Amino acid sequence: MIAAALVGIFGVAGALLRFGIDSWFAHHSSRQTVRAGNHGAGTPVRLHWPWATLLVNVAGCFIIGAAHGLTVGLGLGAEWQAALATGLAGGLTTFSSWTTATVRLLSEERLGSAAVNVAANLVLGLAAAAAGIALVSAV
Amino acid sequence: MSGPKTSWMPRAGAWLAVAAGGLAGTELRYVLGLVFPELPGSIPWTTLSINVAGSFILAALTTVWMARPRTPFWLRAGLGPGLLGSFTTFSAVVFSLDQLVREGEHGVWTAYLGLSVVLGLAAAGLGWRTGKLVGRPTGSRQ
Repeated sequence: MIAAALVGIFGVAGALLRFGIDSWFAHHSSRQTVRAGNHGAGTPVRLHWPWATLLVNVAGCFIIGAAHGLTVGLGLGAEWQAALATGLAGGLTTFSSWTTATVRLLSEERLGSAAVNVAANLVLGLAAAAAGIALVSAV
Repeated sequence: MSGPKTSWMPRAGAWLAVAAGGLAGTELRYVLGLVFPELPGSIPWTTLSINVAGSFILAALTTVWMARPRTPFWLRAGLGPGLLGSFTTFSAVVFSLDQLVREGEHGVWTAYLGLSVVLGLAAAGLGWRTGKLVGRPTGSRQ
């Protein structure tokens, strides 16, 4: 089945891209030690925030929107739509890291950061998906 | 994870593990979608179940690995970002929400959004606590 093979190949590509972005952010954020006032005088605190997950989720939402636009507008084959939507966008984006990172922020009593993480992924993701649909539909 | 002077690029073994986990997670999600097809205009139960289950497992593994930092990095990478990262999906949730909004299915998209956020976070929270219990060193009273 050609669709299953394409979904697998594109899914691996999405996962590797996400892992690469994740690793890059993990390395660079670990160097940013910020002085946070409420953690004692001048104690450097690592303020991690799941930027990498936000980036891949927004990018993947754009891709799934564009895949839909390509299918409707240009008659992209069903197996290629599955490759882009289920494979690439599905492999690139992640729901479990989003929820787990939110719970981690909650466990650190960073309620504002947790709320922003939930809202930012949803709002920017919806905007990116709509942009992907609109961009391809306009071509 | 590795030494302070190493590159941000993980080693080849970790990339291979992510590729293998990514392949398994993506195909599992794809096959579940074929076996339990989602109907247009209704809540995508298959994706919701995948995301809730994946949230529980990833959060549990995260706290287990916090308690056991000597777990090999390739294993954590293969199971976390690889398998569970690829098994669960955010783009499908957002795309379904977009389509349900366009179709005027306001009750359905509201319910799907609420269920995804509430059940996803509840599963991750439960997994987080479960992992802490499981990862606790044996013989410790804390």
